[in-house]
Amino acid sequence: MPAAVSIEDLTFAYRGQEIPALRDIRGGVEEGSLVVILGHGGAGKSTLCACLNGIVPHFYRGAYRGRVMVKGREVARQRVAEMSRQVGLVLQDFEPQLFSTNVELELAFGPENLGLPREEIAARIERYLPFLGPADFRRREPATLSGGQKQRLAISSVLTLEPEILAMDEPTTDLDPQGREEVLQIARRLREEKRTLIVVDYDPETGAQADQVWLLREGRMAAQGPPEEILGNREILQACGVKVPPLVELFASLGWPGRPLNFEGAVRLIQEENLARRRAPLSHPPSPSGVSGPFLLQVEDLSYLYPAHGIRALRGLNLGIREGEFVALIGQNGSGKTTLAKHFNGLLKPSSGRVLLRGKATTEHQQREISRLVGYVFQNPDHQIFCNTVYEEVAFGLKMLGEPPGSVESRVSEALETVGLAGYEQKVPFALSKGERQRVAVASVLAVRPEVMVLDEPTTGLDERSQRSLMEMLRTFHRRGHTIIIITHSMDLAAEYATRAVVMKDGGILLDGATREVFAREEKLKEASLRPSALVRLSNWLGTRALTVKQMAEELGA
Amino acid sequence: MNIFLYLDRGTWAHRLDPRAKILAVLLLFCLCLAFNHPLYMGAVTLLLLGIATSARALPNLWRLRFLLLLLFFFGSLMWPLFARGPTPLWTWGPLAVSRESLLYGVAMGLRLSSFVMTGLLLLSTTRNEELTHGLIGLGLPHPVAFAFSTALRLIPTLAGAGATIIQAQVSRGLDLGSGSVFRRMGKFIPQAVPLFLYAIRYTNLLAIALESRGFSPGAERTFYYELRMTRADWGVILLLSLLVAAAVSLRLGLGLGAVLPGRM
Repeated sequence: MPAAVSIEDLTFAYRGQEIPALRDIRGGVEEGSLVVILGHGGAGKSTLCACLNGIVPHFYRGAYRGRVMVKGREVARQRVAEMSRQVGLVLQDFEPQLFSTNVELELAFGPENLGLPREEIAARIERYLPFLGPADFRRREPATLSGGQKQRLAISSVLTLEPEILAMDEPTTDLDPQGREEVLQIARRLREEKRTLIVVDYDPETGAQADQVWLLREGRMAAQGPPEEILGNREILQACGVKVPPLVELFASLGWPGRPLNFEGAVRLIQEENLARRRAPLSHPPSPSGVSGPFLLQVEDLSYLYPAHGIRALRGLNLGIREGEFVALIGQNGSGKTTLAKHFNGLLKPSSGRVLLRGKATTEHQQREISRLVGYVFQNPDHQIFCNTVYEEVAFGLKMLGEPPGSVESRVSEALETVGLAGYEQKVPFALSKGERQRVAVASVLAVRPEVMVLDEPTTGLDERSQRSLMEMLRTFHRRGHTIIIITHSMDLAAEYATRAVVMKDGGILLDGATREVFAREEKLKEASLRPSALVRLSNWLGTRALTVKQMAEELGA
Repeated sequence: MNIFLYLDRGTWAHRLDPRAKILAVLLLFCLCLAFNHPLYMGAVTLLLLGIATSARALPNLWRLRFLLLLLFFFGSLMWPLFARGPTPLWTWGPLAVSRESLLYGVAMGLRLSSFVMTGLLLLSTTRNEELTHGLIGLGLPHPVAFAFSTALRLIPTLAGAGATIIQAQVSRGLDLGSGSVFRRMGKFIPQAVPLFLYAIRYTNLLAIALESRGFSPGAERTFYYELRMTRADWGVILLLSLLVAAAVSLRLGLGLGAVLPGRM
């Protein structure tokens, strides 16, 4: 088959940087195939994507060597707008990709530039609009959409270009599992249409569907091959900072034959080889998570209507969170998770109903009191970082709350110690990596020693290693008695770390209980566009209690 | 939080062709400039309020009421000091206020806020894309029209980012509600740092995203929303042209509508 993309000894260093972001990359993508690119943060995945339509070297300049050929044309010699007719690129950061005043025009923008007739543009809008969801989004302003919906729109606004080659840079970071599945379905459909697809992802499970997996490490191509070969190889994945697929990990640690990449594969292997016997499934309804301390947060009949655009985000919601819980707030895109969380620290005031913080309504608390009780880490750390040094940044909240200078110093160093950034006091926060900035943001909230910490998608955009260490850190706070509430789309992390899972749907609560029980209800979760990870589904199928590889290996090994 | 001015209401004003609306706005500006008597100027302001009501754009005027009132009072207080009329009321050194200059000031205050109201009317009823298309339709070069509308588009985005940044700091204990006005203003200044960085990053990525979706400023492109001048469009332009002609002949021919005839 002819190559749609061929990369020939590509080396690129951003201007002003000595170490190249990409080194001697060589690779070919066959027409109609799916290539998944995996690697640690800073491995050069995004740079490689940017090379495909000429953003590198036209927008990001630097030392460029080698060449990238797309359908026989050399990318670096074409203008980006010209290349966009063949290569559609979905950028990692979706906010700046949405600039139209309604969804319909956002979808129309690409085809408009292609100069297509109106009827054709209308047909394409019709074709890709359903990806946003069942509701009628046509006239909605992109700014009023939830994070996940925005990401869906960013993807479909490139799909309307119907490019022969589609490259997506981490397109599913903010999507619910159903959304991830839909992106993969689109990928399959595009392949049937003989289009070529290149996807950068953080989750190795996406790689299972690929024709080829490319592993990048520090700008070099560490490995290239079919998914079974690459994803079954634990050593090389770990060396590249990529998560080993949990099922592979499980089979390896039990000494079972085969390295299944998905749930169906694992079930087939277990049945064929008679590796384990199924037990009675967990069937009892979700029970409270076992913590019996006093209520810290009580939500009573909470409804919220965004006054500016009249969208009802919460509908008569009731919830109680006790001291010492570790709660994962999960649910489909646009189900009201962030809106609910913003009520916990009084950033939003209920339209009706009330939120009690230690028995007192948030509307009656002073904002200062709330800040002491509830720490809120925003999804994007760059929204809160503004000081010149890490020290000042972490000390800001303490100073605002009138802490004496002596204790400010000790609290700051304690917080930095906890997040693993001791010695970073005098560094400039903006010069740190995304994972480190996320830690600074957490430290600055932690320094105040709030009783509750609310984190909105704390692991989004972080690589495996940073995700793990962040979650381990949260677990440490939890053990010290802090109450933790995270909003997350990662079913893995929710299963592994949270003691309680609250599933939201359409502004209400669909399921609430101990994480294990909630994750056993696959049918119900499906209603909220959620699906547990392959490992948890295997655990459900086998009837084990395990939520992690380690627990499962112990349970099955014994 | 909604920071866009456009209100998706589908009134007659929304359905007008953007070219017609831009011309109408220019004609309304002329109307604002025709008189300097507060009664006549007041009539123009009332006309604008009437249009705003039927275009269902009043919520935006209400949202920006402080700006509109500020302009009105500022104009009313400042102008009398610079204009001189025949009937002095009060003098103090070089400063003099006359009956006419006082009335003139009120008219200027009304004129300033009417200007802003006219602009708001356009932005409340016209999408950014329609505006771009309209400007191009009126013969503006593509790059200029796109630069204009992109700049307009950035304002709400940056305002939204600013609001998120403030929220993030408030949740860390930043107290914006207390202290004098100046102290409060001072607390906002540090927030400009992340906003500034955000703006640089955002505009950079915006440029990349635009080109990645095939945009190049000078090229021929389709506009999904079609421009079509209907009878209503021509009617509005004709009506406003007649109004402007009438106003000009009142002012210049009959000498009506001016407290200080020598001034605009």
